[in-house]
Amino acid sequence: MRPYKVLIFIACVMACLGALCVVLPGRIVLGERTLNWPTLAEVFGESEYSEYSEYSEDSDSIAEFPVAPDSLLADTTPSVPTPVIPHITADSTTDSRIFLQPFYASLTESSERVVRVLHYGDSQIEEDRMTQQIREALQAHYGGAGVGLMPLVQTIPSLTVKQQLRMNGRFITPAQGPQRYFVYGFKRNQRADGLYGPLGQMAVMNDSLVKGSEDVTAICKPQSGNPRYSQWKIFADTAIHYSLSGDTVQLKGHGNVYGLSQESPTGVIVDNIPMRGCLGLIFTKMDSTQLTTFCRQENVRLIIMQFGGNAIPSNKNPGTISGIVKGLREQVQHLRECAPEASILFIGPSDMLTQTDGVWQTYPMVPYMDRLLRKMAYEENIAYFSLYSWMGGRGSMMRWQETGLAGSDGVHFTRSGARKAGKAVAEWILEGMSATTSLNDELME
Amino acid sequence: MMEFLHHILGFDAESPLLFTQFYFWAFFALVYALFALLMSIKPSAVSNQRLHLRNVYLLFVSWFFYYKTSGLFLLILAFVTLSDWLIAAQAYKSKKKFWLCLSVIIDLGLLAYFKYAYFFTDMINDLFGTGFRVFDIFAYIGNGFSEAGRFSVDTIVLPVGISFYIFQVISYTADVFRGRIQPVKNILDFGFYVSFFPQLVAGPIVRAEEFIPQLYKPFRLSRRLFGIAVFWIINGLAKKIIMSDYLAVNLIDRVFDNPLLFSGFENLFALFAYSLQVYADFSGYTDIAIGVAMLMGFYLPMNFNSPYKSQSPQEFWRRWHMSLGRWLKTYLYIPLGGNRSIGFGTYFWWTLIALVSAALTGWWWMMIPFCVFIIGVAVWNKIQIRRQPSAISNQRKLLCSNLNSFITQVLGGLWHGASWNFIIWGGINGIGMIVEKIWRKMNWHIRFTVMTLLTGGLCVADYLTNLPVWRLFAVWAAIIWVVTAVRYIYFLCEGEDTKFTKALGTAWAVLQTFTFITFTRLFFRSSSNLDPATANEVAWETAKNMVNQIGGAWTNAVIVPFLVEYRWVVAMFVAGMVIHWLPTNWKRRYRLAFSAMPLWLMVLVVCVAIVVIYQFVSAEMQPFIYFQF
Repeated sequence: MRPYKVLIFIACVMACLGALCVVLPGRIVLGERTLNWPTLAEVFGESEYSEYSEYSEDSDSIAEFPVAPDSLLADTTPSVPTPVIPHITADSTTDSRIFLQPFYASLTESSERVVRVLHYGDSQIEEDRMTQQIREALQAHYGGAGVGLMPLVQTIPSLTVKQQLRMNGRFITPAQGPQRYFVYGFKRNQRADGLYGPLGQMAVMNDSLVKGSEDVTAICKPQSGNPRYSQWKIFADTAIHYSLSGDTVQLKGHGNVYGLSQESPTGVIVDNIPMRGCLGLIFTKMDSTQLTTFCRQENVRLIIMQFGGNAIPSNKNPGTISGIVKGLREQVQHLRECAPEASILFIGPSDMLTQTDGVWQTYPMVPYMDRLLRKMAYEENIAYFSLYSWMGGRGSMMRWQETGLAGSDGVHFTRSGARKAGKAVAEWILEGMSATTSLNDELME
Repeated sequence: MMEFLHHILGFDAESPLLFTQFYFWAFFALVYALFALLMSIKPSAVSNQRLHLRNVYLLFVSWFFYYKTSGLFLLILAFVTLSDWLIAAQAYKSKKKFWLCLSVIIDLGLLAYFKYAYFFTDMINDLFGTGFRVFDIFAYIGNGFSEAGRFSVDTIVLPVGISFYIFQVISYTADVFRGRIQPVKNILDFGFYVSFFPQLVAGPIVRAEEFIPQLYKPFRLSRRLFGIAVFWIINGLAKKIIMSDYLAVNLIDRVFDNPLLFSGFENLFALFAYSLQVYADFSGYTDIAIGVAMLMGFYLPMNFNSPYKSQSPQEFWRRWHMSLGRWLKTYLYIPLGGNRSIGFGTYFWWTLIALVSAALTGWWWMMIPFCVFIIGVAVWNKIQIRRQPSAISNQRKLLCSNLNSFITQVLGGLWHGASWNFIIWGGINGIGMIVEKIWRKMNWHIRFTVMTLLTGGLCVADYLTNLPVWRLFAVWAAIIWVVTAVRYIYFLCEGEDTKFTKALGTAWAVLQTFTFITFTRLFFRSSSNLDPATANEVAWETAKNMVNQIGGAWTNAVIVPFLVEYRWVVAMFVAGMVIHWLPTNWKRRYRLAFSAMPLWLMVLVVCVAIVVIYQFVSAEMQPFIYFQF
């Protein structure tokens, strides 16, 4: 076959495909399915290549949160249906760390007693990756030791404490351990009585549920942490008897175990409480008496809620997002009732990417949810840290991926990314003490 | 339009010319238009000049392609082209080994510098506790002998395709030195061989003796071959985008990034899917390269021959990345002695591998059994040579072959990536090949006894330690033991294989080989956006976590919900494997049927195929669903 004929063939294919670009309007809905085809503008790259260039690389500064202009919120590629996003105006530019004042004040007591911080969150905080940074920063300034709370059966390994389980003297994997129940996840793993303890998950030592589970030994070796913890706390039914030996705790009997804790008698204790796949709408399902008692007895003075990310991938409707934020507001109010002395800090979702027409871009609902959460936080008088803005806003996750700070899924941080984010949150909290003191003085004057 | 032209002509590190993007095809259409014009010059008048003109034209096109992909690294490509052209000419004239050694030193030196600098630096730092850091001397020179300037001296960037073209120039010089081919007289023709753009960045590795004669042959493309070329291109695009990218984005990347987020079954599924993804990605790219080259009248060697149909690891390596396998066999395995001898090279590499492994793990005690082993091998080998100086016994062949093929596998692993996980990967493949060869030589009594002891041992290890890794091996061994027992009983009762039992045996061998190769993939993945030390750590963590999840976090209740929620991903994986395992003659038939289509129908089919492929590019992502808490 002569080359010119091959050329004609190539030209014909390109002409046909080009004609489709003109004829088809980008997306054709065929019943439940959509047929996608790019427009000529997209083919020639007029929308894809400069989308993220306007955002500066320098995103380390968190002194103020730049709120993305409204025009950006509606700026999606032409082929993506633009969601109808209501206009929201944050009603205050006040540094939200002013709402952490009670927590800052409580830190002065840390030399005499424990000041506890509960860090609840979704998979972004698994492995203690972010919480570790907050813990280390607070303990360095205000004393304290130990990783704090951990479940009896640690299914998700932690960077800071390595757990091994023995049941009836034999090493077991977590899956072979005592029956566990969660306030999040599948309904079949949930309890009607809401008794999950502060971790939102608990284990039942009961021979009839899992053979041999009336005798469990947990060896929990700290992987880092200086100074070393000096005491254990076991949160369990009184029917459970335990004995301690170094990093090992042996529990015997039938009953519920809500958690183990390695800590110090004074200083700051920061608990890492990851809830995989969770939206954060679970606190009202937990037994409020149990939670209230825990917060009072353990002097919980700060509750960090880091949720929102799980609402993004499956929700394209602003109304649904708005409903979820409304639900989160109720959770905040509920936690405030359970822990009236605790300040609350909400950490919003990070930038998150999805692929649309082969191009990675921010989920349209991320900036919207971030703004709704910020508004909710101001209205509820709680502090708000916008992970999304701090990262650099729309598309910043791509830069995180390129530098090895985020995984290729465009959603989760890598360990180094989580470390960077955790460190930023820790610094932001600590810097807030001086920043808000002067602000408070000004307000008082 | 201006932006489009800028993308076509300018260098942008973020936008290399990739086969899966429109820009490449626009570039190719323009290149082909001029190519067709050149080819329309009347052959009777200026036949040789026309061929020369074609080669020169395609050389500059290829350089432009490489510039678009790698920027100023084009200079490295030009340098090795010049140096090997000159050295090969000298080697041919003088027949002195010095010239071959010089070429190998320069070429491998460049490869070591650009690809392995971090690896060697990390290794030295680990061994001696030093704190060396890489320093890019080329950047320093480029900055006018200054550390500050346009180029960063703190990082060494890997030029795209360097592993491929370095191996090509080595093969040229070696073939010229051995007298297999005449040296190329015109440097531009030689440059074309080194730089031919369809295979420049991802192979296949074309050996000089296969490609250089084509430079002097006129354009030849039959109607049927044209159809086959188009088929390879569409087939490659479908493999790359549907079987590779879609599976990767919607499942595999997520699981490999965070194995702990997923249950044992999901990890296992992702691992098998990754096997398919790696194959589809790599072979898809080379399919396109073969098709594109064919349209210009050049014929590249086949690079993948349905590798997951292999019945043994050895066969797998004859079907997977065949051009690399052939290269390693010709220029490494045979010079080491092949299956005929073991010499200095064999002892050197074995000792080096053992020393480095002992130093890095700190297990110096390993050197004692190693020394016993290697001295034993040397003594036994000497005795065999004295007994039969002219003939080679089967046992000696087996020994030579195993020792040399293990080295080839380990170094082949290192070629794939400059980190320990790739060396481990190569090592596991080497061990797999040796074990399989020995297994084949056993009779059924021994096989059954060995499997019984191995399975029993692994079950005991699992019971005593309760570590997921032992459980995984114990389950795997138990499955093999059951099948071995059935076959053993059959052997005792019937003795002879029938057609049906042979077919079952083949299916079992294919399945086992696929499973083994899939297991080695645990060590095949590395993050390119991390520094090598971190990449190593991450790769090791990923492998460890995946094994822990598969062996320790297995929940049967997850299987059905996963298959339902990820139905499209599962469907693509199943479809990919079914197509892969289709009989070869079926594939040949539908390839020929496609190539025999009338051109208008072929245009239509190609357009429909591209529209379908685009649906996978633009498909909505599978939302995150967690099945384990």
